[in-house]
Amino acid sequence: MSLKSKLKETLLCLKAGRVTLPYPARGHPAPEGFRGRPVFNAAKCTGCAGCANNCPAREILVLDVCQEIRILKYLGRRCAYCGRCAEVCPERAITMSQEFETATDSIGDLQQRLELFMSTCQRCGRCFDPPSVLEELKLKGYRLDDLANERWVFGSKAYLTSEPAVDDIRIEWD
Amino acid sequence: MNLLQPLFGALANAGLVLLLAPLFQGALRKLTAIFQSRQGPPLLQPYFDLLKLLGKEDIESGESPVVQRFAAYLSLATVLTMAALVPMGFAAPLNGAGDAILLIYMLTLCGVSTLLAGLAAGSTYSLVGVSREMMTMIALEPLLAIAVFVGAIQAGSFRLERVLNGSVYAAGNFPWSAVVMLAVMLFSFQAFVQKVPFDISEAETELMEGPLMEYSGPKLALFKYAQMAKLMVYSGIFVALFAPWGSDLAFPINWLFFWAKVCVLVVLVTLIAATHARYRIDQALRYFAGLLAVAFAALILASYGH
Amino acid sequence: MIAREKLSLLKAKFGDAIQRADMPDENRLFVFVEATVLKRICAYIFAEMDARYVISIGADDRPFSGQFLVAHDFAFDHDHLLCSVLAYLAAENPKVDSISEVVPAASWAEREMRDLVGIEPVGHGYLKRLVLPDGWPKDVHPLRKDVLWNEVPEGFDENREFTFDEPPEGCTVVPFGPFHPTLDEPAHFRLYVEGERVRGCEYRGFMAHRGIEKLAESVLNYNDIPVMAERICGICGCVHSVAYVQSVENAAGIRPPPRAEYVRTVLLELERLHSHLLWVGLACHVVGFDTLFMQSFRIREPVMWIAEKITGNRKTYGLCVVGGVRRDITPELGAELRQVLDKLEAEWRAVAEAVLQDRNIRKRTEGVGIANKTLVKQAGLVGPVARAAGVEMDCRRDHPYAAYNRVQFDVITAQGADVWSRVEVRLREVFESINIIRQCLQKMPDGSLKLEIRNEIPSGRIGLSSVEAPRGESHHFVITGENNRPRRWRVRAPTYQNLQGVPAMIKDQQLADMTITLGSIDPCFSCTDRLETIELKSGAAKVWSHSELFNLVRRSR
Repeated sequence: MSLKSKLKETLLCLKAGRVTLPYPARGHPAPEGFRGRPVFNAAKCTGCAGCANNCPAREILVLDVCQEIRILKYLGRRCAYCGRCAEVCPERAITMSQEFETATDSIGDLQQRLELFMSTCQRCGRCFDPPSVLEELKLKGYRLDDLANERWVFGSKAYLTSEPAVDDIRIEWD
Repeated sequence: MNLLQPLFGALANAGLVLLLAPLFQGALRKLTAIFQSRQGPPLLQPYFDLLKLLGKEDIESGESPVVQRFAAYLSLATVLTMAALVPMGFAAPLNGAGDAILLIYMLTLCGVSTLLAGLAAGSTYSLVGVSREMMTMIALEPLLAIAVFVGAIQAGSFRLERVLNGSVYAAGNFPWSAVVMLAVMLFSFQAFVQKVPFDISEAETELMEGPLMEYSGPKLALFKYAQMAKLMVYSGIFVALFAPWGSDLAFPINWLFFWAKVCVLVVLVTLIAATHARYRIDQALRYFAGLLAVAFAALILASYGH
Repeated sequence: MIAREKLSLLKAKFGDAIQRADMPDENRLFVFVEATVLKRICAYIFAEMDARYVISIGADDRPFSGQFLVAHDFAFDHDHLLCSVLAYLAAENPKVDSISEVVPAASWAEREMRDLVGIEPVGHGYLKRLVLPDGWPKDVHPLRKDVLWNEVPEGFDENREFTFDEPPEGCTVVPFGPFHPTLDEPAHFRLYVEGERVRGCEYRGFMAHRGIEKLAESVLNYNDIPVMAERICGICGCVHSVAYVQSVENAAGIRPPPRAEYVRTVLLELERLHSHLLWVGLACHVVGFDTLFMQSFRIREPVMWIAEKITGNRKTYGLCVVGGVRRDITPELGAELRQVLDKLEAEWRAVAEAVLQDRNIRKRTEGVGIANKTLVKQAGLVGPVARAAGVEMDCRRDHPYAAYNRVQFDVITAQGADVWSRVEVRLREVFESINIIRQCLQKMPDGSLKLEIRNEIPSGRIGLSSVEAPRGESHHFVITGENNRPRRWRVRAPTYQNLQGVPAMIKDQQLADMTITLGSIDPCFSCTDRLETIELKSGAAKVWSHSELFNLVRRSR
C-alpha cells in the first residue's frame, strides 16, 4: 500500500543522514589522475608543437620569431582539459595538474607563454617524430599564429616572412 | 476605553503572526532538508528572503498593475485580520467583532486575492493557475465551512468564542461528527496551506509559479508573507476547533501549549509534504469530492446531536 | 551471410536499379542505387522487410565525385545488420523523392537535409525550416563544401521572426519553453490547449545548434573529434565519443584491442547508471516529489566520484581515441568500483522497491504519454520509450559492439507503453548495468589499450555505428576523408527520433502531464541540436495537423 512505501522511503532518507559537504569552507581536493589545468614546463619543452597541433580547441598558439626562437602560448580560454597535449608531448613537459578552481577575472592568470630557443637540425632546420600516424605533426615549417590577436592561423610557411601567412581567415568576434 | 484593548490585542496578534510566520517556514524548510539528506537553509532564511524581496525594484508588469497591487495588499491584510479573530493561546482580541460566518468569508477572501492576482497578471500560465486555484477553492472552502458549522451546531451558536473553543466536542453523546470532521480536516489540511501534494496551482515545474507569475519584489514579498502566515493561522483555527485542550490553564502555560500544538501540526505538514508527489488537478478534485461527501455525513450526524 | 541474403532479396525485387553493393563485414550492407528508385526501395525495406528506420543523411560529395549523396540508414535488429541505401544526385539543383510519406520517421531528417545540404525532398508534407534560423539567407547551405565554417553569410537577417502556424479552433496557446523551469535546455512547444487538454502542438527546436558536424569536416582531425563528440551531450557524452570512434574503426577496418573494448564497455555502463539515476530523480521532481529527487542524486554521487578517479573527470571522460582508449582501469580502481557498485545496488534496490509500490507516483504517471507499438514503428522511437511499449530493441544485443557480445544481460521491457512503464524500465536497467560491469571487471583480459596505427586511414570509406545510449540508439555515420579528418559525419541522437513522437504522445492528454511526458523520453536537446551557427532564439517548428496525427496513430500495420 502507498503508506508502507512512503514509510520505507522515509526510512531510507533518514538512514542516510546529511551528506552536504562543507565546501568551500573546507577544501575538496581532486583525486589523483584528475585532469585539471595543464602546466607547461619550459625547461623540458623542445618546441615540437605537438601539443598545439593536437589540441582540439586550438588553444595553443605557435609563433616563430626567427629560426632560433619559437614562442608557444597557451591561451586557456576554451581549453577542454582533455589532456591530449600532455599525452602527445614527447618530453612529458606538460602535466595535468589537480587544479580546478581556476576562476579569475584576469585572463593573464590562465595564460602560459614559453619562449624557446630552438636548436636547428642540420638537415631540414627542424623536424620531430610524430607519436602515430593520426597525430602527425602537421604544419611542418615555420608557424605564424597571430599571438597579438590570439588567433590560430591555418597555415605555415616554408620560410620566415613578415607578410601574413597563407590561408588567413578573418574571424568575426562579437 | 473599550475600543483600545481589542485594537491593541489585534495589533499584537498581527505582530506575533508576522514575527513568527517566517520562523515556522524556516523550520519547515530545515525539516524538509533533513529528509532530503542535506543541510538546508539557515532557520532564519525566510526573514532574509522577505527582506531581499522587499528591497527590490517594484516592477509593474502584467495586465492591470493597480489590481495587482490591491491583490497583494488584500492577501496579507485578510490573513492578519484572521489572526486577530483566532484565539492563539488566549482569547481572540476581536472576539465580539463577528461570528463564524465572518471567519469563513475572510478565508474565502484570502483565496480570492490569489485569484485576483492571477487574473490581473493576465499571462497564460497565471490564467491556467487561476483556473486550477478556482477549482481547488470551490472544493475546499466548503470543507472548512462544514467543520465550522459542525462546531456551531454543537455549540448552539455562531459566536466565534463559542465555536473556536473545541465546540465540536460539545455534544452530549459521543461526538462522532467531531471525530469524522477531525479526520476530514487532517486529510485536507495540506490543501489549505498549499503544500505538496496539493500545491497544484503553483506547481513550479508545470506552471512556473501559476497565479503569482508576474509578481516580483515587494508584491511577491507580501504574497509569500501571506502564505507563511496562512500556515500559522490555519493551524490556529484547526487547533482551536479540534484540539482546544489546555486553553483554560493559566497564562503562560496555555500559550505555550497552543504553540506546541501548532508546532506538531507544522511538523506533520512537513512530513507529508516531503514524502508525496503532487497530484493532478482532476485527481485532487476527486479526492476532495470524496472528503466533501464524508463531511456532509458528519454534518447530518451533528444535526442529530452526535 | 545475412547481408548477402538481404542483398539478394533486394536484387530480386529491384534488379538493375542497384548499382553497387558493399559488404565490408557481416553486419554492414551499403547499397548504392539509382536516385529514382530510392523511395520504392526504402518503402520495401521499411514495410515488407520490416526494418527499423534510423536516419537519413545528405552529404556534399562534389569535390570527390562531383555529385551530392543521400543515404537512408535502416536497421535489421533481429538479424544484427545495419544497412544503408545510398544514391548520388546531380550537382545542379539536387532533388530526391521524399520518403517521409512511407516512412513518417524520416520527416525531420529530410527537413534537415534540405536546410543544411540543400537537397530538396520532393513530396515532403511539411517543409518548414527545421535547423537553420529564419533570418538565414535562402540558398546558403552550411554543410556544403563551399560554405566556410566560420563566416556569417551575407544577407543574414538578425531580426527576422519565426512565423507561427494558426492554432485550431477553440484552443488557447500555451507556450512551453524555451525558458521553463523543467526544461534544462531550450526547446519550444507551442501547445494548443482546450481547457486542460492538449489538442496539438507546434515544435521549434535547434536553438543550440553548434556546428559540430561542420567543424569535424573542416577543422578537426580524427583524434580531436572524440573530445568534441563527448561534449555533444552533458549526460551521454561517452556514448557519442565511442560511437564516433567505432564508426571510424568500422570504416577503416580497425579492431581495437580487447582490453580497450572492455574498458569502453565499463565506462558506457557507468554512464548509463548515472544517467538513469539522474532521470529517476528528475522525473520525481517533475511530479513534485523532491525528496526522491534528492535521494537519487545522493545515491548517484559515488558513481561520479569513481568515474572521476578512473578517467580524470566526472563527466567528460576523454576516453576514446581511434583504435583504443586512453586510460586504464587498474586493479585498485577495479576493486573500488566493485565496492561502489555493491553499495549502489543495495541502496537502489530499496529505492526501486519503494517507488514501484508507490501508488502516489503511479497515479501521476500511469496512462500518461502513451506510445504504443505502432507509434514506435512509425516514428522510429528508440530506447526505453520503445522498450516500455513492449518492443524488444537494444543495440547492445542487436548490433553488438565493444565487449557486449561477451557478457550476459537481459533486455528489460514493460507492457504499459506509458510513463509509468518507462519508469519501471529505467529502474530495472540499473541492475542490468551493474551486472554487466561486474562481468566486465571479471573477464577483462590484459593487454594494450591502444592500437598502433601505422597507415593513414584511407579516404572515401563509409562506416556506421549504433551505440545504446541511456536514451536509446545513438547512430553515427562517417565517410572518411583527406587531411586526417572525415569527409562527412552525421550524428543521430536518440532524442532526435523520440521528439518526433512527442506530439502524438501528448495529444488529448492533460496540460499537467506535458512535462512528465516530455521528461519520460529523457530528452537531451543538446544531443538533438548539433550546430550553433548564430545565437538567435529562433528555430523551426513542426505542426502535426489533427489528421496527420490521427493517421499516424491509427494506421494499422
